[in-house]
Amino acid sequence: MTKLLQIELYKIFKKPRTYISFGIVAAIAFVIQLAMTAGGKEYLDFGLQGVSEQFDIQGKILNGYLVAYLILQSLLIHIPLLVALVAGDAIAGEANMGTLRLLLTQPISRTQVVLVKWLASIIYSIALIVWLAIVALFLSLLIFGRGDMINLKSDTFILILKDDVMWRYAGAFAFASLAMTTIVSLSILLSAFTDNGIGPIVATMGIVIVLTILSNLELPLFKMIRPYLFTTHMIGWKGFFDDPVPYRSIGKSAIALGVYTLGMLLATIAYFNKKDIRS
Amino acid sequence: MSRKTLWLVLLLLVVQAGLHAAEAEQLYYAIRSKVLSVKDYTADVKIKVDVAYMKVPLLKGILYFKAPDKMRLERDGGVSILPKKNVNLTLSNLIPTGNVTVIDAGTATEKGKTYRILKVIPEDDQNNIVLTKMWVDEANLLVMRTETTTHNDGTIVMTLEYAAYSKYALPDKVVIHMDLKDYKLPKGMTMDYEDSGKPEATEKMKGPQKGTIEIRYLNYTVNSGLSDAVFQKGN
Repeated sequence: MTKLLQIELYKIFKKPRTYISFGIVAAIAFVIQLAMTAGGKEYLDFGLQGVSEQFDIQGKILNGYLVAYLILQSLLIHIPLLVALVAGDAIAGEANMGTLRLLLTQPISRTQVVLVKWLASIIYSIALIVWLAIVALFLSLLIFGRGDMINLKSDTFILILKDDVMWRYAGAFAFASLAMTTIVSLSILLSAFTDNGIGPIVATMGIVIVLTILSNLELPLFKMIRPYLFTTHMIGWKGFFDDPVPYRSIGKSAIALGVYTLGMLLATIAYFNKKDIRS
Repeated sequence: MSRKTLWLVLLLLVVQAGLHAAEAEQLYYAIRSKVLSVKDYTADVKIKVDVAYMKVPLLKGILYFKAPDKMRLERDGGVSILPKKNVNLTLSNLIPTGNVTVIDAGTATEKGKTYRILKVIPEDDQNNIVLTKMWVDEANLLVMRTETTTHNDGTIVMTLEYAAYSKYALPDKVVIHMDLKDYKLPKGMTMDYEDSGKPEATEKMKGPQKGTIEIRYLNYTVNSGLSDAVFQKGN
C-alpha cells in the first residue's frame, strides 16, 4: 500500500498542472498583499466605517494576521477548485490515458486503488494548505508585521489580541484541510463515473460554486437547506476567529464534513468495484 | 396679602435666585480651575469595552494626555479602541471652557451622599457641547457624574470615581455610557460562519443600543511636561 501511495504521489507531483495550483495560490496571495500595501488603509476605512463613526480605532490595524485572513477569505472558492484539478483527474485521467485497465491487472484490489488515489489527493491538498499558510500567513507577517487582529462579522466587531491569534490559524488550517478532504472525496467520486479527466474537475467546480451561492443566500428556502450543504460547513475555519470560539458548531461542522467524506468515499469504492473498466 | 408685601416676596425670591446662581458659578469655576490645573498626565490604563456588537478583550496600555485635547493610547503595537476623539475621555473635554452660563439645578442624593447639580451652557455657539449637567461633590470639588449633550455625538454620560489623585480631580475609574448606533455589514461581504448554538437576535438586541466603556487609571504621572512628539508617534 505504501509503495502504491508513493507511486501515486510521484504521478501527481510529476505533472506540471500540480504546480499551477501552487503558483495560483502564491499569485492571489501576492496580489492581495500588494493591493493592501498600496490601498489597505482605504479598504479598512470602508470596512470599519460602521464602527469608526463612534469609536476611534488606532494602532496597527493593517497587519499580517488581518491580511492573511483576507487572503483566506478570498480563496474560499478557489482552493477547492485547485484541489479538484488534481483529485478529479485521479481515476478519470487514468481511464482517459488508457492506463486504468493496466493498473487493475496488478495484484491489488479496486478498493485499494481508490483508497490510494484518495490518500494521495489528500496529501496533495494538505500540501496546498501548507503552501497557503506559508504565502498567506508567514509572508504577510513578514511584510506587514504582527498586531492585534480585527475580524468583522455582519453583526459583530471582534478584536483578538496578537498573542492569541497563532493557535487560531493552526486550528483554521487544520479545519481547512478537513474541508479539502471532502472536496477530494467529491472529485474522486465524480472521477470514478467518467473516463474523461475534464468532466469531474468542471463538475466539482460547478457543484462547489452553486452550493456556495446557496449557502450564502439569505432566503427562507435556502436557510432551510443550508445546514445540509457541505459548503456551509466548509467555512468552519472562520469559527476559530470568533469570540468565544464556537467549538460545538465547529465540531458539528467537522462531523458533517466527515460524514460527507466517508459517504462519498464509500460510494466511490462501491461504484468502482462494480464498474466495467473498458480503457 | 397687600401689594407691597407681594412685591417684597418677589424681590427676595429674585435676590435669592441671583445669590444661588452666583454661588453655582463660583463652584463651577473652582472645579474648572482644578480640572484645568492638570496640563498633562501619563497613566497606565485598563479599558473594558462593553458594547453589544463588540467583542473586545480587556485592553491594557499607557494613556497620554496633554491639555487641551491631545490624547493617545499606546498599546505596544496593539489596536486601541476609544470613544470618538471629540467625546474625549478626559473631564476637561466635557467641561465647557470660555464664557458659560451656570444654572443651579438643586441637589440630588445618591448612595447617602448629597451632590449639587449644575447645568452649564457654553455661550459660544461653535462649541460641540450644548449643555453639561454635572453632579458635584462640593466639599472635595469633584465632579462625580456628567451628562453632556453635544451637537454631533448625542448625549454622553460619564460617571467618575476618585481615590489617590482626587487633589488633581483625576479619577481612578471612569465609566462612559454611550448611545450606540446600529452596526451591520452585508453578509455577502463578510460570509459569516454561523454559530448554530448562538441565539437569534431578539427585537431588543436589534437597533440602537447602549454601551459602556470602563477605564481604570493606575500610576498617574501628572504635569511632567509631556512633549507634543508623544502624540505624533505611530503605534
